[in-house]
Amino acid sequence: MTVTAVSTTSQRKPAEAIVVDDVHFSYGKRPAVRGISFAVAPGEILGFLGPNGAGKSTTIKMLIGQYRPERGSIRVLGHDVVREREAVQSRLGVCFEEKNLYPTMSGVEHLRFFARLHGLREVDVDGLLGRVGLATRGRDRVAGYSKGMRQRLMIARALVNDPDVLVLDEPSDGLDPVSAQTIRGVIREQAEKGAAVILTTHDMWEADALSDRVAFINDGRIYAIDTPESLKLAHGKRSVRVRMRRNGEIEERVIEWSGESSAAALAEATSDGELVTVHTEEATLEAVFIEMTGRGLS
Amino acid sequence: MNFGAMLTILRKDLAVGPRSPLLAWGLLLPILWTVLLQGVFGSLFDTRPRLGVVDEGTSALTEALMGSSDLDVRLVGDGETLLQLVRGHDLDAGLLLAPGFDESVRAGELPLLPLYVSGDSLASDRVLVSMTTLDLLRTVEGRTSPVTVSLVGAGEGPEQSLIERLLPLVVLVALLVAGMFIPAFSLVEERERNTLDALLATPARLADVLVAKAVLGFVLGLVVAVATLALNGALVGQPPALLASLLVGALMAAITGLLFGTLAKDSTTLFTLAKSINILLVAPVLFYLFPDWPQWIARIFPTYWFLDPIVAVTGRGAGLSEVGGHLLVALAWCVALALVVAFASRRLQGPRTAG
Repeated sequence: MTVTAVSTTSQRKPAEAIVVDDVHFSYGKRPAVRGISFAVAPGEILGFLGPNGAGKSTTIKMLIGQYRPERGSIRVLGHDVVREREAVQSRLGVCFEEKNLYPTMSGVEHLRFFARLHGLREVDVDGLLGRVGLATRGRDRVAGYSKGMRQRLMIARALVNDPDVLVLDEPSDGLDPVSAQTIRGVIREQAEKGAAVILTTHDMWEADALSDRVAFINDGRIYAIDTPESLKLAHGKRSVRVRMRRNGEIEERVIEWSGESSAAALAEATSDGELVTVHTEEATLEAVFIEMTGRGLS
Repeated sequence: MNFGAMLTILRKDLAVGPRSPLLAWGLLLPILWTVLLQGVFGSLFDTRPRLGVVDEGTSALTEALMGSSDLDVRLVGDGETLLQLVRGHDLDAGLLLAPGFDESVRAGELPLLPLYVSGDSLASDRVLVSMTTLDLLRTVEGRTSPVTVSLVGAGEGPEQSLIERLLPLVVLVALLVAGMFIPAFSLVEERERNTLDALLATPARLADVLVAKAVLGFVLGLVVAVATLALNGALVGQPPALLASLLVGALMAAITGLLFGTLAKDSTTLFTLAKSINILLVAPVLFYLFPDWPQWIARIFPTYWFLDPIVAVTGRGAGLSEVGGHLLVALAWCVALALVVAFASRRLQGPRTAG
């Protein structure tokens, strides 16, 4: 007897959870996205880094099926987001930049409501609220929540269907350090469970700390996409700051690090006098961004 | 269409809606409007004051009162019961006739005639009871009245009663506020708070959201319209014809609400839109209030086509066959409005494509 294994679309796990291929979008005559392409693998966190108006949110809106690309295609978990919208939405979790919650509903009511919209009857609402640090305030109405609590509830809402793709638009914008840390922890957990995560931010520190790869977007185009480390190594300037005591006075010297000549310069700088401190300085993502795009992040 | 998502959104709106002061006001306004009208004009359908009489003797006045067509008179056993009934507004007024009352009147002794009046009774009813009683007292004296008082409702006639004139206004307010305004505001609120984006990021589609809001308006409009008719004692006529008229009215109100909610980008625009367009929806009411105006003009306005059947069924006892034609025209209006909603709602999902 021969048994043939039949693979269906839902059983196949695509190598890339998100594939964006040469998408374009314009608001009237003003182009917002001009031929963006990238892919995100399951379990990977991709940070979309760019200033306001760079095209981040428009790309996100196309990704979640709210805007239809003028050209190009977007596939999420193997489904076209335009033609197979429902198949995509059921496996998608989205956290919007705007605090779009119902003020007269409680946290628990929010999670139950959105779980039902995903066709789920049984959801561990208390567990979800606990993950985002809202266990004790879940029964309170959102109108009484602080900004940080609302943001955490929005993250919990995005996780209500245990999504395979998590899309987060400025997830920790304006939050206090504790709330931001909680949210970053939850994002990492979801990625470790295998979800592909794409987050937009103009906080280069957050992008650096959280993302496996970052994409620099500006003026509707991706300028670079790579790991933060690679980007910094490839495009950033490194330096060594040396402080020496000579004749009772502190002298400071900054040596741009660019190879063997730099090593010779360091040896020369430290040959005479008493070494006080040596600091290596690494390029920041923001510095790399500015170098590549010619503009800052804010 | 995702029926489960539609029902989930509808359940949310029904549960959360009353927590919003504006929506709660929308539900209460038609009821308050009815109460206000009743306070000003009296009960629309029950115009005879209710008088209780305790006759401890056998007064001729009792017999005369019982024969009066202007009063709804009932005999009460004792003074204590009479007071209780008046206090509880089960009677508008109560008359206590002592033993030997008629003899005292004839002897010219000016006996005391206690007339208890309910604090909740209408001023018009108090006047009517007093006048009728004083008029009939002459029969006890054995004299005839020098005049005959005839009670005639000014401006009322069998063809155009106060009922027929005010009822369209009351019903239309109920349908427009609960059936139209609430779904319109609910949809605008979803957009203002960007919660519509959150809904559309789930398997729910825009059509599910719109249908849920329409069903919300339809159900609330129907319930409030029925409650308003019941409060006015106008839940009468042939049930199938009345139900069909109300169903079509609630449907048109709900679809119009969706149209408003789709066109208005925020609540300020919604209120502006409502203020400017509502005159077209309410206009048919004016033709009931002013029957001398050319009645054919009322047919221009869509709400006329369900309003006239409601008036015909509750006022004249019309049947389904008589109002069916009007209701079909109203349904055609509903289809036309729904098509406009379908076209206008495309903008709710943002730019679908470039340019």
